[in-house]
Amino acid sequence: MTQISIWRWPTHNGLPPLPAVASVVTVLTAMWLTVSLVEVDVARLVGSLSKMLSFAGNMFVMPDWKYLPQLLVKMLETIEMTFLATAIALFVSLPLGLLAARNATPHVIIYRLVRDLLSLMRALPELVWALVFVSAVGLGTLPGVMALAFVTVGFMGKFFAESIEVVDHKQVEGVTAHGAGWFQVRIFGMLPQALPDFIGTVMYILDHNLRAATVLGLVGAGGIGYDLVMSMRLFQYDRLLPIAVAIYLVVTLLDRFSDQLRSRIIHGVQAKI
Amino acid sequence: MSIISIKSATKRFPNGFEAIKGITADIAAGSFTVILGPSGAGKSTLLRLMNGLETPTGGSIHITGETLGKSNLRKMRSCVGMVFQQFNLVERLSVVTNVLTGRLAHRSWLGSLFYLFRNEDMEIAQEALARVGLTDKAWNRADKLSGGQQQRVGIARALAQRPKVILADEPVASLDPVSSEEIMMLLREICDRDGITVVVNLHQVDLAKRFADRIIGMNSGRVVFDGTPAELSPLTLQAIYKRDEIKDDTNLNLALAYA
Repeated sequence: MTQISIWRWPTHNGLPPLPAVASVVTVLTAMWLTVSLVEVDVARLVGSLSKMLSFAGNMFVMPDWKYLPQLLVKMLETIEMTFLATAIALFVSLPLGLLAARNATPHVIIYRLVRDLLSLMRALPELVWALVFVSAVGLGTLPGVMALAFVTVGFMGKFFAESIEVVDHKQVEGVTAHGAGWFQVRIFGMLPQALPDFIGTVMYILDHNLRAATVLGLVGAGGIGYDLVMSMRLFQYDRLLPIAVAIYLVVTLLDRFSDQLRSRIIHGVQAKI
Repeated sequence: MSIISIKSATKRFPNGFEAIKGITADIAAGSFTVILGPSGAGKSTLLRLMNGLETPTGGSIHITGETLGKSNLRKMRSCVGMVFQQFNLVERLSVVTNVLTGRLAHRSWLGSLFYLFRNEDMEIAQEALARVGLTDKAWNRADKLSGGQQQRVGIARALAQRPKVILADEPVASLDPVSSEEIMMLLREICDRDGITVVVNLHQVDLAKRFADRIIGMNSGRVVFDGTPAELSPLTLQAIYKRDEIKDDTNLNLALAYA
């Protein structure tokens, strides 16, 4: 073999590994093939720059202060929807997650069935389920919460199952060996180990649900989304800005809070941030 | 009287490896038995068979006269405690909760759903922790303890279930010499004072000689020695640690010269 360079990859022949090369080539080819399909047009992007700027310019107007109380109520409604839907989903997905984890499920058939059920629940986005529930129970926050909780179970159950599957088997065996029953092994051996992952999942989903809840207003399923869309349609820029800022603030606060909680649970004692 | 009897047990794993090739042995109640053997001899598998963590492919295991099977597994385990090489504590739970998991065999699943125990369980757990000298660590998280301390929690967990037998699978293999000594002394004391039968897998010949009443030597799935520590001669040690694929094993002779 001729050595042309002093550099080599950590493989037998020093060349880059075939799977890595193949995937890079595949991705690049796919991108090249699809560029025309999605109409990526540089001229159009540059041409619309001025329109984007003028829209952004419109945003920076004096906010409509009289609108603030209503904004607060709507924002609170959105937060309530988020927490309620996530809490409902939490209770449903814990047992489902247990059944959908390969190492915790009572039977392979149940494992497959629950997995399929979960993917069905998250197959369609919240907005579509919201449309379904709005036509079923009418306008308001109820269909919003239902739609959110429904899709969340689909995601949360899957995430829970996956964090149970990576649990250390040694610790599970430690509990099993002392005569703990089927259920006790899961409660004492698996759940404590999966807990940090669970918290992470719940926090991520809360974050996601908050944003999803803002969108649900689009189809009349309650929350801030309706105001957001209406003010955009009616060019009420003095309302648009406070709404955007309020959503940003809530998402950021939630993020801070979740970081705190997570490190506390992972390290057991109060963490220094 | 024998508390554990193994009747021509064999174990073949799904990958075709035969770890136990027909072993028959009786273990007397209240005795301290050490199983010696090279890595891969089947020591761990034999111990796991006695706790039902593995099921034998042939033969049977009897504990206090009852045959170990699927239906009585939980009941049998409630009188056989197990101590592991890697401690196998649930690291995110407190020390005392880990010890309390030794009581689970006596509690129903409904209470366990809410992590509930009885007051008497807590007393037993505290008592067990006092035995291993870790009362002041009771509320620490298990993973904050040193290796030697974690192993003592493991022993406390086994004690908390009030077992007739304690099986210890290489309990000192991950520990320093001083902690190893402490753990072995603790196990010996439990055997002497509480009359609990102890079966220990070991790699250290010297520890085996000092602590055991009886030594069982294993090599590639078979018993090659069974006797008192005094009967353990350099020749029998060679039989235990010999490696089939290597002739004139100088490493073996060298290692055993210091054993």
